[in-house]
Amino acid sequence: MTVLTQLRERVLVASLAARERGRPTPEAASISASEALSLAAASFERLLAGLSDEDWGLPALRDLDVQGLVGHLIGVERDVQRALAGDEAVADIDHIASTQDAARAQSGRPAALTREEWRGAVEDTLHAVHGGDERVISLHGMRLSVDALLVVRAFELWAHENDIRLAVGAAPSSPEPSVLALMTRLAVQLLPHAVSRTGTGAATDLHLVLTGAGGGTYDLRLGPPRGEADDLLLVVDAVDFCRLVANRVAPAELDVHLHGRGADGVLAAAASLALD
Amino acid sequence: MLLAARLAAGDERALEEVYDALAGVAYRSALQVLGRSEIAQDVVQDVFVELWCHPERYDATLGSLSTFLAVCARHRAVDLVRSDLRRAAREERRERLIPSQRGPSPSDLVTEAETACAVRDAVQQLPDGQREAVELAYFRGLTYRDVARITGVPEGTAKSRLRLALQHLEELLDRQLLEAP
Repeated sequence: MTVLTQLRERVLVASLAARERGRPTPEAASISASEALSLAAASFERLLAGLSDEDWGLPALRDLDVQGLVGHLIGVERDVQRALAGDEAVADIDHIASTQDAARAQSGRPAALTREEWRGAVEDTLHAVHGGDERVISLHGMRLSVDALLVVRAFELWAHENDIRLAVGAAPSSPEPSVLALMTRLAVQLLPHAVSRTGTGAATDLHLVLTGAGGGTYDLRLGPPRGEADDLLLVVDAVDFCRLVANRVAPAELDVHLHGRGADGVLAAAASLALD
Repeated sequence: MLLAARLAAGDERALEEVYDALAGVAYRSALQVLGRSEIAQDVVQDVFVELWCHPERYDATLGSLSTFLAVCARHRAVDLVRSDLRRAAREERRERLIPSQRGPSPSDLVTEAETACAVRDAVQQLPDGQREAVELAYFRGLTYRDVARITGVPEGTAKSRLRLALQHLEELLDRQLLEAP
């Protein structure tokens, strides 16, 4: 055994004692889920404030123009508030169908009114939650804790902010690192369920490395051991990973470094989360 | 670049990969300066712990990770050598100042004379208050209370002047010993 082979274990143990594995450096500031939603909403609002009248009429997503998309978000906030109030009617309704009326209602309105109504809807959501709220909320086919629901809201605002940016020709934005950290943690937490649901033959064990601010390293068990080496290493930028999870980039277009088998199944499952 | 990003993300496998690929570079760099394997291994450990805790200090635009680790190991090794030299100089001075149990040899007497001369020169470089305190305490063997009484200052002031004087003397004598041919 060479000197360096003997030294290897000592160096690794000393390193991991000095800095815990999995934790990114620099570490993003720790914030609450409602703060994440507030920050995402503030970023969205800054974008809306800079739009011209013509921008509001540009096609943005599906059959919606920018104003209609903001209307969709108003509808989502109203559904969230109903769910928080215990209305079971919104538990399994479709996320898009249920907000179509709110989206269409924006047609012909002054953009400032749409913007004001959306901002008010976000404030109403934030007022409807409080710290330490441990309820499980049923909405749009999801069962989530209140905190997870708020992070999903931040996820959706960021995804649609970038839909609008794309529509008006503005550069894409990245979430604040503290918001991104919550978004990536939630997406990682949901990934094993997505793999299980899609049954896409993903790897058994995933070593997922999300690089950049708001990233981190995760080891996930995605299925029962199959008695063979099917450990997968996946390295991807944290923001790109969120684009995948928001279904805004196809797995094939993702700049990803991988080693092992089963990557296609994992990436397809991540995209199926469609947190937008 | 990717390895550095993985290290920043807390990926311990990246650390293992870097170790397997580049520990030899760091080790050889340290060994070249130190000449002793055990201490060179300590340097390798320090360098890798530092890389793991502060991967952002590596700037890929300035050079390869291999070069970065080699330079870090070399700097760390040189720091250790300097620190050893300073410690050895302090020990040597202390030995010279402590009276020997056996009778002095002619060589000891010459060395003692040289040391005494060096100490007196260093004392002359002290500020007035500190020099006076040292002369009374160490050359005339007075207590700090006597020093305080004779120089007309509170006992606390006499104490702090002696402490500061000793710090100054240590620096001055260190410098002389390190600069000696």
